[in-house]
Amino acid sequence: MNKKEKHKMTAAEKREALWAWAFIAPTMLGLIILNFYPVINTVYQSFCKTGDFGKGNTFVGLANYATVLSASETWQSLLNTIKYAIIEVPFGVVIALVLAVFLNKKLIGTSVYRTIFFLPMVCAPAAVAMVWKWLYNQQFGLFNNLFHTNVAWISDPKIAWISIGVIGVWSVIGYNMVLFISGLQEIPGDYYEAASIDGATGIKQFFHITVPLLSPTTFFIVQTRLIGALTVFDLMFMVMDKTNIALQKTQSIVYLFYTYAFTNGNKGYGATLVMVLVVFIMVVTFIMQKAEGRFVYHN
Amino acid sequence: MKKKITAALLAVIMAVSMAACGGGGSSSSAPSEPAEVDLSGNYTVDTLNVNIWDSNQQKGLQQIADDWTKESGVKVNIEVVDWDNYWTLLEAGASGGTMPDVFWMHSNTVQMYMENDILLNLTDYIAADGVDLSKYYEGVVKLYTRSDGNVYALPKDHDTIALLYNKAIFDQYGVEYPTADWTWEDMYEAAKAITEGSGGDVYGMAMNTSNNQDGWYNLVYDYGAQVINDTHDGTTIGSEQGKAGMEMVRKLLSVGAPQTVVAETGTDSLFMSGKTAMITQGSWMINAFYTAEHHDDYAWSLLPYADVNGNGTCDDGERYSAYNGLGWAASAATADPNAAYSLISYFCSEAGQLKQSELGVTMGGMEGVSEAFANAFPGMDVSPFIEAENYNLFFRPYTRKTTVWEDALQQQGGFLDAWRDPSDPELMKTACDNAQKIIEDAIAAE
Repeated sequence: MNKKEKHKMTAAEKREALWAWAFIAPTMLGLIILNFYPVINTVYQSFCKTGDFGKGNTFVGLANYATVLSASETWQSLLNTIKYAIIEVPFGVVIALVLAVFLNKKLIGTSVYRTIFFLPMVCAPAAVAMVWKWLYNQQFGLFNNLFHTNVAWISDPKIAWISIGVIGVWSVIGYNMVLFISGLQEIPGDYYEAASIDGATGIKQFFHITVPLLSPTTFFIVQTRLIGALTVFDLMFMVMDKTNIALQKTQSIVYLFYTYAFTNGNKGYGATLVMVLVVFIMVVTFIMQKAEGRFVYHN
Repeated sequence: MKKKITAALLAVIMAVSMAACGGGGSSSSAPSEPAEVDLSGNYTVDTLNVNIWDSNQQKGLQQIADDWTKESGVKVNIEVVDWDNYWTLLEAGASGGTMPDVFWMHSNTVQMYMENDILLNLTDYIAADGVDLSKYYEGVVKLYTRSDGNVYALPKDHDTIALLYNKAIFDQYGVEYPTADWTWEDMYEAAKAITEGSGGDVYGMAMNTSNNQDGWYNLVYDYGAQVINDTHDGTTIGSEQGKAGMEMVRKLLSVGAPQTVVAETGTDSLFMSGKTAMITQGSWMINAFYTAEHHDDYAWSLLPYADVNGNGTCDDGERYSAYNGLGWAASAATADPNAAYSLISYFCSEAGQLKQSELGVTMGGMEGVSEAFANAFPGMDVSPFIEAENYNLFFRPYTRKTTVWEDALQQQGGFLDAWRDPSDPELMKTACDNAQKIIEDAIAAE
């Protein structure tokens, strides 16, 4: 079995290998053209003063990095992005988990509720943002009219970031919930039966059986949502007007990238901003991976 | 075997990435060779794609285009892309994608497009066609002429600015309607009376930082400063005159809608929902108000003037209106430049321009065709837009990369700081100094 001697591939094996390559070729090609090429190009552009319409790039070394890293708006928007993630990820996970536990029970109408909670995932993010923008509107919005308040939900720098975070939470709950439900269904029912016989209450069961056994799913959701939240763009872009006084306290780093790369046509500076974000996400992911062993319970 | 394939694959990746590094300069198509000018009507395409950003104009322009289709047999497909995305898409198209055949050009960006040969050079076509460029508004023609004398777009229209007010609100609070003799101070008094009279429920006026061409730019010029100087390489916005103009803006804002409100609901929406009594607006927006629900209440007046010398009358240089003109341009990579030019030349011909005016799409890019425009809106007097031309006009300020400083002025670090708290005159002065620096830095970086 474990003989490590080199052996020549037989004709059949060669054919098999060839087929294997043939099958992954479309994916590989797609990755190379759509992912690897742009990645390399982005790295290159971050060292350039880019010309108009992608012509006439001049190499400027680390000049873009020096400007980006010394600009206070870079750090402010990175902080905004983190603040958004701090709202979206924990609330999105906890609320989805609680909902998933309830909707995993055999009750009448669970499928209806599951559909309702999943609906936001099916809506176009831009449409979601537009509807929320009107709900929040200070003059004509539903919230202010319903509660007879006059709150500038998305224009007051103190609360705008929370308002944006709420939209994010609302949008991801359904997706997280579906993942949790599938995780819940993998937990054997015996544990709960045994716990009930021992007299454990529902809440005790939740914290001592559900939460630990669900931790691989939770970890997966937290990690993917964290990356998703750190790259948020569409919410801010759709909800906040350019002249919103809360914009600077809410715009994400990808929004800043969009402003520089596409509105101002400064692709090099935009590419540098993205590189900063990439490094940041790498660090976060690395820490998450290290933390996995401590928090995740493997059955 | 496996190793070989891996090696081959790596080689491919290397090659691709090297192409990526070196390809920056040559990825987009080379400047097109001058195509054969042929105005005899032998077209090789059966459809032309046209992009514009104003849905108000789509219907009227389609009618004019249909007239051209009858002559040429080439269909015209007009697609509207909203202002913000228009430029993103067009730039993406110019950087190596597909561009529409014919589209609008604007003072914000045209320099960059002309310099990079993205647009079809119309000079030879215009010569062969015998178009007399002196019939069009000079500022607009100049805008679309490159420094070497080549012309890249024909003037589509021109626009001016006027004051829009809601008669019903003025009646309700017993305030006299605006007149042609109004100064900005008069506007302030009226706005103040309405805002205070309504207890803040209705605002006397509303102006966002983004209302530049149709808003605060005009005051800067009225008080004797310039946002961009005549040679397009500097500004006097931070001068005493500039600060005086912006101080007047601040006074107006102090009795107008707060920034939190105008950033969430556009000033035009606020006006149409009866929340504000006065806004300044450009002639390109007339149709939106003409077709609005309460259009009977709406009326236009000349923009107020600044009585700088204090003699009580409007002298030369005291009443400015911004004017701008879009251009019809074609892509240098269009499949059939002759058809594209033919369509452009039809839009800009006297017949096309007259019809554009008659249909109330916009005023003409050609002089003397806009009288019909005033009659295109029965029941609404839009003559102030035409009358504005009897006073001073300034062309919409532009440099090579207008959007860079224009956006910065609208945002935090620019005038937004002053807009958020109009009660403090010092904030506006600082904002003027910042604006001076923003524009100078942006021009230096162009």
